[in-house]
Amino acid sequence: MGRDSFSTYHPAVNFLYFAAVLGFSMFFMHPVLQGIALFSAAVYSVTLSGGKAVKFNVIYMLPALFILAAVNPLFNHAGMTILFYLKNGNPVTLESIVYGIAAAAMLVTVMIWFSCYNKVMTSDKFIHLFGKIVPALSLIFSMVLRFVPRFRHQIQAVSLAQRSIGRDVTQGNVVHRARHGLRILSIMATWAMENAIETADSMKARGYGLPGRTSFAIYRFDRRDRTVLVLMIVLIAIVLAGAGMGENTMRYFPSMRMKEQTLFSGVVYAAYSLLCMLPVIIQLVEELRWKYIVSRT
Amino acid sequence: MEIYRIEDLSFAFPGKEKQALAHLDLTIAGGEFVTIIGRSGCGKSTLLRHLKTVLTPHGVRSGAICYMGQPLSETDQRTQASEIGFVLQNPDNQVVTDKVWHELAFGLESLGLDQQTMRLRVAEMASFFGIQTWFHKEVTELSGGQKQLLNLASIMAMHPAVLILDEPTSQLDPIAAMEFLETVSKINRELGVTVIMTEHRLEEVLPVSDRLIVLDDGAIIADGKPREVGEQLHAMGHSMFASMPAPMRIFAAAQHYDGNIPCPLTVKEGRQWLEDKRKVTDIAKASSDKQASSTAEEIAPVVVQFKDVWLKYEKNGPDVIKDLSFEVRKGQFYCIVGGNGTGKSTTLSLLSGIQRPYRGKVLIEGRNPSTMKAKDLFHNLLGVLPQNPQSLFVQKTVELDLHEMLSETKLTSEEKRAKVEAVAALAELEKLLAMHPYDLSGGEQQRAALAKVLLLDPTILVLDEPTKGLDGSFKEKLGRFLQELQARGVTIIMVSHDIEFCARYGEVCGMFFDGSMITSNEAKTFFAGNHFYTTSANRMARRIWPDAVTVESVIERCRNNQ
Repeated sequence: MGRDSFSTYHPAVNFLYFAAVLGFSMFFMHPVLQGIALFSAAVYSVTLSGGKAVKFNVIYMLPALFILAAVNPLFNHAGMTILFYLKNGNPVTLESIVYGIAAAAMLVTVMIWFSCYNKVMTSDKFIHLFGKIVPALSLIFSMVLRFVPRFRHQIQAVSLAQRSIGRDVTQGNVVHRARHGLRILSIMATWAMENAIETADSMKARGYGLPGRTSFAIYRFDRRDRTVLVLMIVLIAIVLAGAGMGENTMRYFPSMRMKEQTLFSGVVYAAYSLLCMLPVIIQLVEELRWKYIVSRT
Repeated sequence: MEIYRIEDLSFAFPGKEKQALAHLDLTIAGGEFVTIIGRSGCGKSTLLRHLKTVLTPHGVRSGAICYMGQPLSETDQRTQASEIGFVLQNPDNQVVTDKVWHELAFGLESLGLDQQTMRLRVAEMASFFGIQTWFHKEVTELSGGQKQLLNLASIMAMHPAVLILDEPTSQLDPIAAMEFLETVSKINRELGVTVIMTEHRLEEVLPVSDRLIVLDDGAIIADGKPREVGEQLHAMGHSMFASMPAPMRIFAAAQHYDGNIPCPLTVKEGRQWLEDKRKVTDIAKASSDKQASSTAEEIAPVVVQFKDVWLKYEKNGPDVIKDLSFEVRKGQFYCIVGGNGTGKSTTLSLLSGIQRPYRGKVLIEGRNPSTMKAKDLFHNLLGVLPQNPQSLFVQKTVELDLHEMLSETKLTSEEKRAKVEAVAALAELEKLLAMHPYDLSGGEQQRAALAKVLLLDPTILVLDEPTKGLDGSFKEKLGRFLQELQARGVTIIMVSHDIEFCARYGEVCGMFFDGSMITSNEAKTFFAGNHFYTTSANRMARRIWPDAVTVESVIERCRNNQ
């Protein structure tokens, strides 16, 4: 999968989307809503990372789902529909099995959502969003992200240089190895301070410390961001209204009870599906539009 | 209009008797391109740092520095930050943030500009410097040359009136350095920004400089147009003259300034002058005495051998080393030259057993380095000096660092001290023993690292770019030092970008391209056979004496033919 067009939207739009779907997936233990969320999360992860996501979902997520669902009834004995008794005399109930499945589905959904989140919300998007609240933080984040790879690179260089004089952590007996390792770490501390002096000079030379610092952003909040944001807010409002009416959860213990299906529940389901599938829909629409443009030229 | 006026400036570092700058008087006019040269430690950097308040070192100071007619200390910090741009030596240390676009905007953020203005300035600079293609990249993905260009662009985005550069190309390879200096010259030419820089690569800088200033022991000893300053230095018999471009040195030695003919500065001018002087008819009788390669070399046993070596880093990755074969005989000084990313440094890691070929053989005295024990390989056999000598040091002082090398041997403390003293004397480190290795200058670090490696008594010495960032006099010292080692029977294998150095001190040269050795030959024959990849002295004189490779040999021939 080459590009995901939802990722090109403003970080605020990306963040609101993930905050909403993650929150809803965690709190709404309703089979229909959970089904929608799990399905959308899986589809979106595949749109984002293609075959790799399929592999990840099938190899790790699917077994996790089964194991978690199977473990719950072994420890949770609440519920009134008793199916059979375990050897130690504890009952296995229908409610605990169903609840186990629901909880497992919730966990797996959240994990898949997070894998998507990591792909879409890159560090600089996060920094951009939260840098506005604490301006100094965004610079610190950025400097840390600069420093860590440099430090790793230098430690490799030192280790390699030490190896060629027979003094790396991989060489000698255990005592020697420990000593070599400590020596490398201690010189790395010196190195970091030494270089920080020049970095500080370079910052001062470019006016760091003058009052009234602003922060530059390469993201712009444009019309399409506004459209999607408004749409998302409307959908979120409908889903929350559903939550307020008690549409989005069900009772598991002592007996399972779901609110009656009404026209409004249908509306909530539709809104939730639309919300969860939004990035996939955006992607599809853009692809279709692209094909159309190409076919016309 | 004058940008800077410095009057009777003296400066001494705290606790030091000796003045780092002594009674300097200097005026720099707007739009000038000023190059400042001098030996390491002559006060170049100290002088440059006085030109911007936030970078000025602490110490005892007297005299006045005026910027745009008013004292620098009274110039507002905001004005200084934006109008006085300062580029430092190390490309890596200057980069503050993780993304190219963020780095470009760093100075603008400090100045507190609004989004719209920043957007425009960043876009402008990215286009001027050709950064668009890597605008969204992480800084870590960039090459050294790109990083330094990014530092320059980030400063140029603040619209400085004057640009100060402190040895900006010392960490770059020749091609990246050329590109960088081209850009600086373009900024001066097209934007009229005043440039004040210190630099070692005079061959590239002098032709574009309006003015050359020579510092010695904190005082200005020459100041004027590059040609005139060259003449003055020559007349003074000053050692800095040895750093001047080859055409200038040849001209000075052969012509004895008589005032009628202007001194050549570039290879082109040098060639014209030489061919005018020699008349075209003489070309025919150009000597081509073939030198028979000395027989001693043929007899010396092979110590390092590469046999049809292939290497790749990943299973499906491209081949980094392709069908590489060469051998080095005992006691040879073998130089490997070639462009960036052609596999030179990788060859060295094959040699020290860090990488293993997937086909072919690497043999050191008949044994495979990747299966040898570290102790056997690195004691009395292979000494490796990494590209960055700093990465060898692990202790608080040079002396401790040298002793550390012997800590795992069974020598008595008396023997250890004797060995350390001997090697310190050899590398001229006696005065530096108590210093922290990181506080040494580039050339001193290089020698200390060499001393450290030499304590293991290597018979084969492997060097990766040992002349990077060194000035002329240090290079000469290093060259003589290596020759001395060679005389003791040490085999030296050196990877370098520095053609002049290889031509002067090397014995055999090999050219690397696309993962293998294209050609190798005795140094003189090698460079005489190249058209582009050769010393500037040879490029200047090759139509008359194709085999004259070094400045000295051209001068000698000039004298003989007079």
